[in-house]
Amino acid sequence: MTWTRRKFGYVAGATCLAALGARAARSQANARVVVIGGGVGGATVAKYLAASAATLEVTLVEPKQRYTTCFYSNLYLAGLRSLESLTHDYETLARQYGIKVIHDTAAAIDPVAKIVTLEGGAKLAYDRAVVAPGIAFKFDSIEGYNEAATQTIPHAWNAGPQTKLLRQQLENMEDGGVFLIVAPPDPFRCPPGPYERACLVAYYFKQFKPRAKILILDAKDTFFEQDLFQDGWNRHYPGMIEWLPSQFTGGIRSVDVKTRAIKTGGETFNASVANIIPPQMAGELAQRAGLADQSGWCPIDPMTFESKLQPGIHVIGDATSAGDMPKSAFAANSQAKVCAFAIAAALTGSELLAPHLFNTCFTLLAPNDAVSDAISFKPVAGSIKINDIFISQVGESEEMRRQGAREADGWYAAFTHDVFG
Amino acid sequence: MTAKYRCVANASNVRQTFVLSITASLVILLADRGTTAGNDRGAQIAAICASCHRLDGHDKGIPSIVGLDKEKLAGAMAAFKSGERSSQIMRAVALSLSDDEIATLAEYLAAQPAETKRR
Repeated sequence: MTWTRRKFGYVAGATCLAALGARAARSQANARVVVIGGGVGGATVAKYLAASAATLEVTLVEPKQRYTTCFYSNLYLAGLRSLESLTHDYETLARQYGIKVIHDTAAAIDPVAKIVTLEGGAKLAYDRAVVAPGIAFKFDSIEGYNEAATQTIPHAWNAGPQTKLLRQQLENMEDGGVFLIVAPPDPFRCPPGPYERACLVAYYFKQFKPRAKILILDAKDTFFEQDLFQDGWNRHYPGMIEWLPSQFTGGIRSVDVKTRAIKTGGETFNASVANIIPPQMAGELAQRAGLADQSGWCPIDPMTFESKLQPGIHVIGDATSAGDMPKSAFAANSQAKVCAFAIAAALTGSELLAPHLFNTCFTLLAPNDAVSDAISFKPVAGSIKINDIFISQVGESEEMRRQGAREADGWYAAFTHDVFG
Repeated sequence: MTAKYRCVANASNVRQTFVLSITASLVILLADRGTTAGNDRGAQIAAICASCHRLDGHDKGIPSIVGLDKEKLAGAMAAFKSGERSSQIMRAVALSLSDDEIATLAEYLAAQPAETKRR
């Protein structure tokens, strides 16, 4: 017997109404929540909303049929995972959780009438909306790097065709070539990502193109877990990876896309394969719907993730300005749960606990050498501050790092199950 | 998952036999729906765990934490909190939870079935 959530909701709802009129009367029957964006934040919030109260009608709007995770995509670049193994669909969310999944793009949100209009023309009325648009790129902040240029020099910072293109270019590169990564200024999606990419591409080069070099031109002067990465580069790939901070190069100025020549404040660097990860801001819909402030990111109430600019609309994930929380899939998943329980409490009168927010990133220096960080956060005076932070240390045992790599694989499987069902 | 269960079980003005039969069927349905249903205190705290641990008994790479003795679970959390057991992730989580929250969580997880045959 397969019971959908709707059938279950009907039975449970009917029983409760008959038995406990007073309790049911407090609830707002069939309150509607529209979630826009089916990445980690959007899928998680839709699932937890649907699971938390059978009386909520949850709609998820996402143009893509399937979602490829950006986290773990560096393993694909290394030849360690297929892109297919990082790709997930929305069938379980629809079938098991009764979420109405619409494959379309949100064109506009009317925050007064509380209506989301889709590009296909449909209008969705909501009691609460959740916007999880991820990131957009600030094209042309590096002169010459625009959307068209991504077809020659991929950013590969949204997983899918861009990641595939970068892998193809790395495969076609001659031994002895230079792979150049341009790392973005803060804040950006996945703080360890560009440096893990250097590690895992170096792992690939070490086997197939041992004379190749990797050069990182950074818009910053320091980066996250720098000591751990530099130790890993020295141990696993001695002489292969070079990192140049902004204070050394004078900053990244422009790119000649055709010749893959990248001009800095001083020298011009020529690449065989280039990967430019541009400066970022909240996804396009957040900008259009008036959810982002002058910083380019979306200010939120840390207790509920309701927008500080547009009441009734919540924002989660990379698009938010969430104090000390990094832009990561783990953080988006954690924020989504806090947001889902807050919305359920507002719409159904259910009990709400104090929010618990976390981040963990597993980072592979090599396939059997994983480091991680674990951070808890708490809301303080309208923002989000670090509560406790634990980070791997240089000099840990090989066994500990191997164990970390096993945990990382288990985490990917459990985490994507938590998000997509 | 226990929100609906509680809703029915509290209905003392309904004939007991009716309540019992509905309760039993709801429990079966909830079990069939997966492991993140509900938003009572236990479910809200367990949602934290679900970011790394499968709550259906699968344990590849990361141990299963459901269907165990609740004293054992609470004891493990206390050991992570004090640093007696080492794991930076578990330490961060355990330190952020109050003893009361850990007790609620342990009770909730202990009551979850381990359904390792499910996908």
